[in-house]
Amino acid sequence: MNIHINGKAYPLTNAIHISVSSALTLYFIEPQQSTFAVALNGDFVGKTDYDTTMVKNGDSLDVLQPIQGG
Amino acid sequence: MSLNIYGQNLDSRLLIGSALYPSPQVMKQAILASGSQVVTLSLKRQNPAEKAGQQIWSYLQEVITEVNGHLLPNTAGCRSAKEAVTLAKMSREIFKTDWLKLEVIGDDYNLQPDPIELLHAAEQLINDGFKVLPYCTDDLVLCQRLYDLGCEVIMPWASPIGTGKGLMNPYNLETIRLRLPDATLILDAGIGKPSDACLAMEMGYDGVLLNSAVALADNPVLMAKAFGQALQAGEQGYVAGIMQQRQTAHPSTPTLDTPFWHQNN
Repeated sequence: MNIHINGKAYPLTNAIHISVSSALTLYFIEPQQSTFAVALNGDFVGKTDYDTTMVKNGDSLDVLQPIQGG
Repeated sequence: MSLNIYGQNLDSRLLIGSALYPSPQVMKQAILASGSQVVTLSLKRQNPAEKAGQQIWSYLQEVITEVNGHLLPNTAGCRSAKEAVTLAKMSREIFKTDWLKLEVIGDDYNLQPDPIELLHAAEQLINDGFKVLPYCTDDLVLCQRLYDLGCEVIMPWASPIGTGKGLMNPYNLETIRLRLPDATLILDAGIGKPSDACLAMEMGYDGVLLNSAVALADNPVLMAKAFGQALQAGEQGYVAGIMQQRQTAHPSTPTLDTPFWHQNN
């Protein structure tokens, strides 16, 4: 299956879905040391739901981090 | 005299952005020089390998701690109520604040807020416990609707973001002040000069939010200080009571016993 994280495709073989927690390990080397928040297909996913929320083929994750703003 | 944002009293009436500065060091110095206690920031996709977001976040936390201030996350870049609501929830989780500068852009050319999506987003967010500070156009009815929804703070634009054109339509802004006497009104976007901020305060506005005018100045730290002083001057002028304009000249110097008066008669 294919998922997208911040617009980039991540092909995953031998899986029909993975948890948000697992998907984050594809993106971050050390997720626990980063400040970020997650949306799945445009809907917010709270940190407490990372283990139980599944990412399926074609889904898109947005992983956002703080930046300067006006 | 203090600025009241959802019951929180602040000494400074200036809200300042954290973007566009020549360096993080200048950003910090400028924010400190401005006296502001509210700093805006945002969330974006970033390359995790660069760790830029982590560094900026650490730096902004230092600044906020030093000024005993508050973070004001924005929803910059959102073009629908759904996007803004999602980004707001993500911001609340990271920044641990229910304050939100709500931005929903409706036009790419002048980055004009979309009033319809803005109202939809504001309603959902207020129902979800957010304290919404909506960035909007200088439309009286829109401001009234936002206030009626529960937005205690309304932030009409002076002019489009980043233009530095100042107050495009003073009449509209004065009318909003007149018609919403109990709302906290903060002029947001388009400020170019300290005199623009002073003018807003002379109208009775409660505060000013700006970024580019300071960050893009030749000397951002000095400009930040100038804006802080301009806001104080404008506020004091408003409180002191500005004289009524008159159509004809009136001499300032007493006319009684004017020398040489009628000397030829």
